[in-house]
Amino acid sequence: MAMSHDNSASATATVVNAFTPELQMANMLGLCEAQMESALQESDQAVDALIKAFTNLVEATRSVSSFAKDLPPEIRDTLSSDLDQKVAAISKQVGSAVMAFQFYDKLTQRLGHVRYSLSTLALFVCDRTKSTQPEQWKRLLNTLRRLYRTEEELQIFQAIMDGIGDEADEPPAPAAADEEAKAGEVELF
Amino acid sequence: MPGVILAVDDSASMRQMVRFTLEGAGYKVMQAADGVEALSLAKETAADLVLTDVNMPRMDGIALVRELRALDHYKFVPMLVLTTESGTDTKQRGKEAGATGWIVKPFNPEQLLATIARVL
Repeated sequence: MAMSHDNSASATATVVNAFTPELQMANMLGLCEAQMESALQESDQAVDALIKAFTNLVEATRSVSSFAKDLPPEIRDTLSSDLDQKVAAISKQVGSAVMAFQFYDKLTQRLGHVRYSLSTLALFVCDRTKSTQPEQWKRLLNTLRRLYRTEEELQIFQAIMDGIGDEADEPPAPAAADEEAKAGEVELF
Repeated sequence: MPGVILAVDDSASMRQMVRFTLEGAGYKVMQAADGVEALSLAKETAADLVLTDVNMPRMDGIALVRELRALDHYKFVPMLVLTTESGTDTKQRGKEAGATGWIVKPFNPEQLLATIARVL
């Protein structure tokens, strides 16, 4: 077993040290993917901690609100208007925070798709039987196209694909207004 | 009157957001991280409404809706899909599987609660 492992390691070293443009490109793509993964893991931990703190804060606020409702009427009457306003203001802020947290989830999902695309491309460029065939590039693009499912991802994909070969054109930025309009859209069947 | 809601999403932070939005309105929330877990939970405990994501490992939300609709006690239970996807094709697949409605993430808590109250 040990011999087999050594042979395998040696073969890997040979491949890594060999210079081909494809391999260099694959290494660069692998580097980008690894940097992205590391950054995402770090931010996941930070966001998890933030969400826990936020949840505790919201639950504490709800307890205060519930406690205030149970106060004797004579005490509650003196506090009522001010307290109700404050609770309503906090509820509004909580709603905004809940929406903001979800954008992080969406960001994670989109970066996951980018990471997958980078890994797929790295494998593809190293395979000359595929990377020299225009038909195979079309198949690769179709595979990646199916990966992108949000409206914004599809818009960017389409803009870039439409612009292929036209170096003068910058891909248009996704319409933020469209993005906001779709968010929270409800359709009952 | 608030009931029991089965919330399904592979993202822990999304489940957290959904949970405290619904619990704040008095609902009891059961959670599952994918369709397989949700299906098993749904068979053990009756839910008054199912709120599910689409893209999840093992079993996606559309397959989950289809599986649940095949169960006698879930034939008429409202099932809402909560997803980042707003494409017509996927939405149509959800409708055909038996979903009651489609909500595009990120959800607005007040709007989510109003939609749930409407279909319950």
